[in-house]
This record gives sequence, structure tokens and C-alpha cells, in this order.
Amino acid sequence: MPVYEDVVCPFCGCLCDDIVVRVEDGRIVEVKNGCGISSSKFRNHHRNRILKPMVRKGGKLVEATLEEAVDELARMLVEADWPLIYGLSSTECDAISKAIELGELVGAVVDNTASVCHGPTILALQAVGESKATLGEMKNRADLVVFWGCNPTASFLRHMARYSVLPKGMFIQGRKDRFVIVVDVRRTGTARLADMFVKVKPGRDFELVQALRAVLRGYDLSVEEVAGVPMDTVREMAEKMKACKFGVVFFGVGVTMSPGRHMNVEALARLVRDLNSHTKFVMMPMRGHFNVAGANTVSTWQTGYPYAVDFSRGYPRYGPGEFWAVDLLARREVDAALIVASDPAAHFPVEAARHLARIPLAVMDCKVNMTAMMADVVIPVAASGIECEGTAYRMDGVPIRLKKIVDPPEGVLPDREVLEMVIRRVREVM
Amino acid sequence: MSVRVMLITGRTAKQGMTMEIGKTAEEYRRAVAVVELSPSDAEKLGVSDGDTVSVKTDVGSVVVWCKVSKALDEGVAFMPYGPWANAVISSHTRGVGMPQFKSVEVEVSPAPGMDVPTLEDLVQMLRG
Repeated sequence: MPVYEDVVCPFCGCLCDDIVVRVEDGRIVEVKNGCGISSSKFRNHHRNRILKPMVRKGGKLVEATLEEAVDELARMLVEADWPLIYGLSSTECDAISKAIELGELVGAVVDNTASVCHGPTILALQAVGESKATLGEMKNRADLVVFWGCNPTASFLRHMARYSVLPKGMFIQGRKDRFVIVVDVRRTGTARLADMFVKVKPGRDFELVQALRAVLRGYDLSVEEVAGVPMDTVREMAEKMKACKFGVVFFGVGVTMSPGRHMNVEALARLVRDLNSHTKFVMMPMRGHFNVAGANTVSTWQTGYPYAVDFSRGYPRYGPGEFWAVDLLARREVDAALIVASDPAAHFPVEAARHLARIPLAVMDCKVNMTAMMADVVIPVAASGIECEGTAYRMDGVPIRLKKIVDPPEGVLPDREVLEMVIRRVREVM
Repeated sequence: MSVRVMLITGRTAKQGMTMEIGKTAEEYRRAVAVVELSPSDAEKLGVSDGDTVSVKTDVGSVVVWCKVSKALDEGVAFMPYGPWANAVISSHTRGVGMPQFKSVEVEVSPAPGMDVPTLEDLVQMLRG
């Protein structure tokens, strides 16, 4: 009955690395230290699995050998004029690297899930810059923590306990030494734990940030409220932010998915920059998928760009507004798609998802999902961080090695090995 | 009878936990095919927890279960991320790649006796 300690959880960008997993007869039977989602991921990794490669024939998905499925996928990509390779944030870095190599080979657009998550953050930080720190530094020093448009009690269940609110740090004695502010449109679980809850009207974050910046610069706005927030609250929040020794703004997709998108993050980055005239202040996007930060990092190493990279001219191009997966699908521009470790049919808006049903579609995934149900080629893969090792990047950009705990189902390979097979086959048929 | 509310889509812990069981699991549908309404909006519609309601925009409509939430102000609704919410979200990204998953004006009305679509139903809808 092997017990694995210091296992890294491959669910969210926290990459908690203190999970204890007990294995019995090749099956995970106990998970300690993990949050509810982590525990569910480890204990249910074997359920609803894709176990055999499948190829659609006569309108139905039928079982195929891995070689047949790889052949079909290679043919699909080579025959396409402008294929899309998308996903990549829930797999490890070597697989991401191989997917980019494949994209270059077939002249594809290679995009990762950042485009529907913190894509606007990337755009904003490319424009403004970023004052940042590691989660460890924040744990040791931050005495003021702002959660803006994010709800770790629903999405990052141990974030507050491990890094941001509860833990003792070198210079912080725990919860009592931290002042916590939550800005959100609804009273979330995180808001209920805050010292100060600032309820902003939906879609009005930009105005609130700019009001804070104005107050910080000494302007007294002649209005009663901004974005639904009384000016007294705005002034109090500005004073708290100015007076702390080390402040941090954790922000989520409440900021990036709302009207204003990258403009909201730009304003927030400028607010953090302004605050550094008074004290030390940093910011951090709450990255959702466990390796979305890795997808951006690997893509940047290999192409110069973090996501939405087009290889149709034989060299990498990054065109904001042009090469994002949702836009390419909604405009019906791509004519084949390979989806790796993602489920855009479920997580893209309906018009973009509908185009996936119109074009040749291949999926590499561990589990049955909506995209796999629509696909023409389905290849099962090992679960990264459970059935194969690899590297992932935590939300603060720290690389962490994932462990292999159990064997994958018989004949099922890691993403990187399947992608290597596809690359070899593409080279043969091109 | 209907109300126009501002829809926010987002994560929930239950969505995360059931997704890891599998998207085809009934637990996932029960956790995700849901719209949370403020007590006053639910009262206006005469609906309570577990009733089926229709959520509609210019893009499409979907039937989901209602859940009344005191965390929401009147005029604000919440749906967990997933294919049910995305049935009413526009693919328009205003040139920045990101659809507007939050602050979307939707119309919610009671849908007594109507079925909440399964994942298979939604796949069929996409395939046309």
C-alpha cells in the first residue's frame, strides 16, 4: 500500500504540493490535505474515462488502434488549410512544447485557454508592466490583501489557507495581521470572510479603479458614489491600501470577462503602480487551470508570444483580435481543430462551439467530455500529475515537478508521446 | 411573466468537484445546469429552489433549475460555467478574444414541466 507524500495537485494554479495520496492495488483510495476539488480529481481520475482510441466512421465513433487514430489525425491536420490547435493548459509542459512544434509543422494557430481566462490580463500587462512577487513572498510579507473579481472559496479552495490570508509568514503572524478587502458584484464566500466588502455594480470595475486612483492622487471627486460604491468607502479603501506595508491585489476573471476586459486590468495595473509611490504593492492574476501559466510560458519560449500564435506563414505571428480560438471559430475561419486537454464545446459560447461541430475535429483527453462526443478522432491520454510526470507552472510563475502516482489504463500514453507520434506521422505524409 | 436580470457566470466549488467525476455524470448536470436568482426576482417569477426556468438572450435560450441565493442583489443572476450557461453567451469578443461571460442581460421566465437538457441534448443542438 504505497503512500505518496508531497504530491502536487494538478487542478488549479495554486499547485498545492503537500498532498498525501494512498494507493491500493493500483487505485487511489485516500487523499489527504487536498481541497474538495483536489480530492475529487485524484479519487475520480479513473471514472468516465476514454479508454480506447476512436475514429468516426459512417457517422459513429468506432474503436480504432492508436496508430489508426494518429494516422487519421495527421491526415486531418495536413489536409486542412488553417487548422487550430487549442487547449494545453491542463497538461504538462513537454506536451505543450510538442503541440507548438506540431502547430508550426502544419501551419496552425496554436492557442491556449488563457484566451478565455486571463488573455485580457496578458494584453494589459504587456502594455503597462507588472509589479509582482511569488506566493511565498506574499505569505511572508503581505499585510493587506485585496481579492478583486475572484472568489477563492469557490475556485482556489486552499489559496487563502496556504498563501494569502491565514498562514503565518516570516513577518506576518497569520489572519490577525492581515486586512482583507474583497471587491465583487455579489457577497461570495470570500466576501463573507473579508474585513471590508466593496460591492461594485456589474461591469463597472473600471470606474471604481479610476476613482481609487483619483483619490490616491489627492482629488476629491464631487459625487456621492462611483460604480455603486459610496465615496466614503472609496476613500477608506484608498487609505487602507496606501497605509499598508506590503499590499497585494489578487484579481480574477470577474475583471477580465466583464465589459472593459483588458482595460479593467490595465487600470488595475496602473493603480498598483501608483500605490508603489506610497508603499510596496504587487498584483497577481488568479490562474485557473493548473498549467495555464505553463502554457503561456512555453509558448513564449518557443514562439515569442504567450498565446494565440499563428504559423500559417511559416513563422509565428501574434495578432490580437485575429488569432484567438473563439474569434477564429465564430468567424468560421479555421477548417480543422485538434483539442488537447480542454473542452471548448462546453466552455465556449454557443456560436463558436457550433463551428467545432462543422469541421474535422480531434480530441486528446483523459475523460469523456462534450468536445470528445462531437469529435471525429478521439485519443485517450494519461492524466498529467496522476498517471504521468511533467512540469507545471504555478500561478506566480514558479515551476513545480508533477509526480506519477499510478499507471494509466493499458495502452494509454501521455499527451507528449501521442503528440510525438502525430509529429512523426505528419512528417511522413507531408 | 419574466424578469430581465444581469447574468454573471462563474466557478463554484460543486462545479469543480463534479467536473472531476466527469462531464457526463448526472452530478455535474445537477451542479451546473442551474441559475441562481435573488429572493426578490424569484418571488416576482413565483419560482423556488428546484423549479425549472428558461434563460434567454438574443443568442439562444436554455432551461435550467432555479436556485434562490441571498448573496445576489435584485436584478443580478448567477450561473456556473458550463455548456448550459454558454447556450446564452455571445461569441462576440470585441476584438480582444474574450467573450463577455459576465454582466450579460438575460430574460428569465418560469418553465414549468420543461426538461433540463442533458449533455447529449446539448451536443445534438450544436451538431444541428
